[in-house]
Amino acid sequence: MSEELITPEMFEHLVDLAAIALDPSQSDYLRGELNKQLNAINELIAIPIDESIPLAAHGVPYAQADASPLREDCWEACENPEEILAQVPVSEDGYIIVPDIPHSDLE
Amino acid sequence: MTEYEAIIGLETHIQLNTKTKIFCGCKADSWGAPPNSNICPVCSGLPGVLPVLNKAVVEKAAILAAAMHADIRTISYFDRKNYFYPDLPKGYQITQYDQALGGGGYFEIPMPEAYVRRVRIHKLHLEEDAGKTKNEQGRRLIDFNRCGVPLVEMVTEPDLRFADEAAQYLIRLRQLLRWLGISEADMEKGHLRCDANVSIRVKGSKKLNTKTEIKNINSIDAVRNAITSEIERQIKEVNAGRRVQAWTLDWDDETGKMKMMRSKETEADYRYFREPDLLPLQLDEAWVKDLIADLPELPLERRERFMVDYGLPLYDADIITGSKVRSDYYSSTDASYGGDPKTISNWFINDILGMVNDLGITVDALNITPQYLGTILKMIDEKKINVATGKSLLKKVQETKQAPEAIVVAEGLGLVSDVAAIREAIQAVIAENPGEVKSFRDGKETLLGWFLGQVMREMDGKADPKLTRQILVELLRG
Amino acid sequence: MALIDQTAIEIAQKIKQGEILAVDVLDSALERVRDVDGRPGALDDGIRSLEDEKKVHAFISLTEVRARKQAEEIDRKLQAGIDPGPLAGVPVTIKDIFCVKDMLSTAASRILANFTAPYTATSVARLEEAGAVLLGKVNLDEFTYGSSSESSAFQPSPRNPWNTAHVPGGSSGGSTASVAANEVPLSLGTDTGGSIRQPASFCGVVGLKPTYGRVSRYGLIAFGSSLDCPGPITRSVEDAALMLQVIAGADPKDSTAFERAVPDYQAALKKDISGMRIGLSPDYFNITFPDPATGELAHQEIQNEVKKAVYHTAEVLAGLGAEIVEDVPMPNTVHGIPVYFVISRVEAASNLHRFDGVKYGYHTEKEVRDLNEMYRLSRAEGFGLQPKLRILMGTYVSAAQYSEQYYQRALRVRSLIRGDFEAIFDAQGSYHLDALLTPTTPTTAFKMDTVYGDSVLMQYTDQLTVTANHAGIPGISIPAGFDASGLPIGIQFLAADFREDILLQASYAFEQATKDEAWRKVKPQVLQ
Repeated sequence: MSEELITPEMFEHLVDLAAIALDPSQSDYLRGELNKQLNAINELIAIPIDESIPLAAHGVPYAQADASPLREDCWEACENPEEILAQVPVSEDGYIIVPDIPHSDLE
Repeated sequence: MTEYEAIIGLETHIQLNTKTKIFCGCKADSWGAPPNSNICPVCSGLPGVLPVLNKAVVEKAAILAAAMHADIRTISYFDRKNYFYPDLPKGYQITQYDQALGGGGYFEIPMPEAYVRRVRIHKLHLEEDAGKTKNEQGRRLIDFNRCGVPLVEMVTEPDLRFADEAAQYLIRLRQLLRWLGISEADMEKGHLRCDANVSIRVKGSKKLNTKTEIKNINSIDAVRNAITSEIERQIKEVNAGRRVQAWTLDWDDETGKMKMMRSKETEADYRYFREPDLLPLQLDEAWVKDLIADLPELPLERRERFMVDYGLPLYDADIITGSKVRSDYYSSTDASYGGDPKTISNWFINDILGMVNDLGITVDALNITPQYLGTILKMIDEKKINVATGKSLLKKVQETKQAPEAIVVAEGLGLVSDVAAIREAIQAVIAENPGEVKSFRDGKETLLGWFLGQVMREMDGKADPKLTRQILVELLRG
Repeated sequence: MALIDQTAIEIAQKIKQGEILAVDVLDSALERVRDVDGRPGALDDGIRSLEDEKKVHAFISLTEVRARKQAEEIDRKLQAGIDPGPLAGVPVTIKDIFCVKDMLSTAASRILANFTAPYTATSVARLEEAGAVLLGKVNLDEFTYGSSSESSAFQPSPRNPWNTAHVPGGSSGGSTASVAANEVPLSLGTDTGGSIRQPASFCGVVGLKPTYGRVSRYGLIAFGSSLDCPGPITRSVEDAALMLQVIAGADPKDSTAFERAVPDYQAALKKDISGMRIGLSPDYFNITFPDPATGELAHQEIQNEVKKAVYHTAEVLAGLGAEIVEDVPMPNTVHGIPVYFVISRVEAASNLHRFDGVKYGYHTEKEVRDLNEMYRLSRAEGFGLQPKLRILMGTYVSAAQYSEQYYQRALRVRSLIRGDFEAIFDAQGSYHLDALLTPTTPTTAFKMDTVYGDSVLMQYTDQLTVTANHAGIPGISIPAGFDASGLPIGIQFLAADFREDILLQASYAFEQATKDEAWRKVKPQVLQ
């Protein structure tokens, strides 16, 4: 199937959802690779499948005994929250700082 | 003039009062803590971390589902809801999308106008809370302390019809959550948050029209005001020939203004899929059965029962069953006293509740135990003291923590029923007030109350009022 | 023979017996690294020199000071009569996809190039508790996305120690190269579609993918959350058994780690394999891929020498009493890559959402108008092409209007793939196999800069390994000889859930039966 499933418009939409800014040459290369991959993936669509085949979110089935018990409701203090904060690129007075998000007013 | 009716559905987010967050061991309640101090690698979304579900979250959510008469799924699943927002560290929220913990059920809301609105529950699901954002001059300050706090999201069917019903829904929900002990439900602290979906239609129509979603409603008043404002706006739009758009709106209760947040047409595609880092949540059927059986009597059930068992009017029963501790206090007083339940109710509503309000405590923290109150009421019935004395005894017991009988003995507060003593006092008052006696005998019978007061003063308030009145009338009439 | 040329078991034993010191083993490792590794991968890679092309470049971060402290501590403990653990003083490398406290943990990406982890992954912590000495973090494909390690943002990327003009494989290329070049006896890698087994095969070392959930994923920067498995990379099967013993087991920090007892793998190793039923499947002797010209599905037989190596292995095992069962059908093997394209991408796209320039890692220096622009620039500048590709594909196949057609479908086909294994391993079934014997890769290591850029062709090198990831079952790749150009050939065993003991048994039997064969004496190019 050489038909292009991901059109430039669809590609733009994906780029928007993925929050990535791309330049035209990157866009071309990536869109081309995606369409090639889709050719491979579309083989999947031809496989006869009925609804009775279960969805396997994991390969190995978990029996009740295999599942680790749920966590007890006991406080476990993190020993170094300040080290987590130290990784923040822009912070001030303990807050993480980001630029504003535009809001629009109702007429 | 076309008549419209409003169609309202509510989505409430309820913060559970577990000790720790839903997927990590940080505290669930960090009100007042410095920013980003109640965090760990898991809730701050560091690379490589994994969620581990808190047992108590499941227990409390199941109790709520049971109280809503909802079906509790024995297998439910967690899903990822993917979107970008700075207060969402992982860039996705772990929630339950299509196979939630609870579905169906209903919540009945008694309205002051003496009807009951039954609201069907669409679903109840578990999810994690996001952090907090503060706006400041073109930038945002993010605090992750609240990330991962356990929430139950409860979504109703669009069964509400008035802004007032929405307000009552929140009031009753708040009462229930505290009653069940699963949430502090303090709206000011964000324990109970509400989004409202509002649409209008011509009265009598069965169609559902485009709805708007109002977010950020953080008080009972705000829910009433926001919905009222939106209904008015929609009616105006429709009357002007325009269509209502599926906007998401933000309500500012201080200014009474609505802002548009985003149009639903360009809403993010959340790309839900099963959370691979968590196993399906499996509940033991026997455990669920026991949970439902062990549910305590719920507030409205108890209110109903108090009306029947104690013969109380709705108003009284509603106040007394406002909280579990109150109704327990009332029941204990009744068990101890054994007399007229309405008497207890009057004392409870007028005096006890007044006192706890002033002291800023709850009834179970009073030094006046139900047993003490019962004793006071018994003493009045047995004419050992009069009502006025009884009321002052309340204060004395609260202050001194001593038993009422002991105080009565110690301070000699016992009711005087000695007829001779009363006669003597009355005769003294009559002698001192000839003018009033003449007025009374000439027909001004309303002076009886004044005379009674004088006699009481003469007797330090201890005279049996009924007996005194009887003798007074006899002597005044000559 | 240098100290560092020995196996982990030998090293630990000698250290515990007081024959050698941990610091001396460390020095031996460091000397080897100096001799063969060349410059480590770095963001500012400069121009590749001729010198570069002769070196291994396994490392991103060589943590000598920290390692020395660990080694000294091991020696101190032994002096005090304390047992430092089964891996006492053994130098190990860690694929830089694991978080280690106070160490740069980069995922070979610019977006985490400056990220110092505030906590340590469980599997790494267990190695350290057992006495291992962390020599450093080794290179990989960016975020483990790839099968050659070439996509790393830290260049030069690792090279195959047997022939440095060829790739070491990926994504655990730095791990397998560091072990194959005798820089360390052990490395901790990860396998999501074949990323331990494929590079192990290319580098002529042992690589084990445990059952999903056998080893904790806490601290492993996630790619495919339902597929990722941390696992051992070693030169000997016994070392793999020991390393697995140390890292396996439940973890309260990982809900998907099984609450199942860890058996004694070392005891299981040496059991006699007579009567073991080992299957061969025609579906693993050819690969199916879309023809780059027509897009039509084409079939191709695997490299002939690889096929021969598999049959030779079968003969050796038969000679030891195993029953070889041929023509075992595995009809859904052919769907492995398309399913992988979908499931792994959906999970990857979501797992990469958290890299947004807000909390850690790369943050754009450019002036931004608003938050959205900050996200878009930070992510565009921080991520390489491979992550971008996976994010976009993952976004597409999980988008509301396509999810049913792609993602839901893929999850069902995954059940079919799992079904193939359940059928052959079923004790009541007609095959009732203990293990399946297959080639690990369709070819030996390809040349650098030849396949990279073609994402489809690159992915298809994993066709024979990816099925085990979908099914969750364990798999091992062990060296089985060389092709005519001197590149290593690997063969693979696959077994049922939690039967790593069978994998180790069969591998050990083969290893011991062939230990004196001439090919085992050949040294990698960099060690000659």
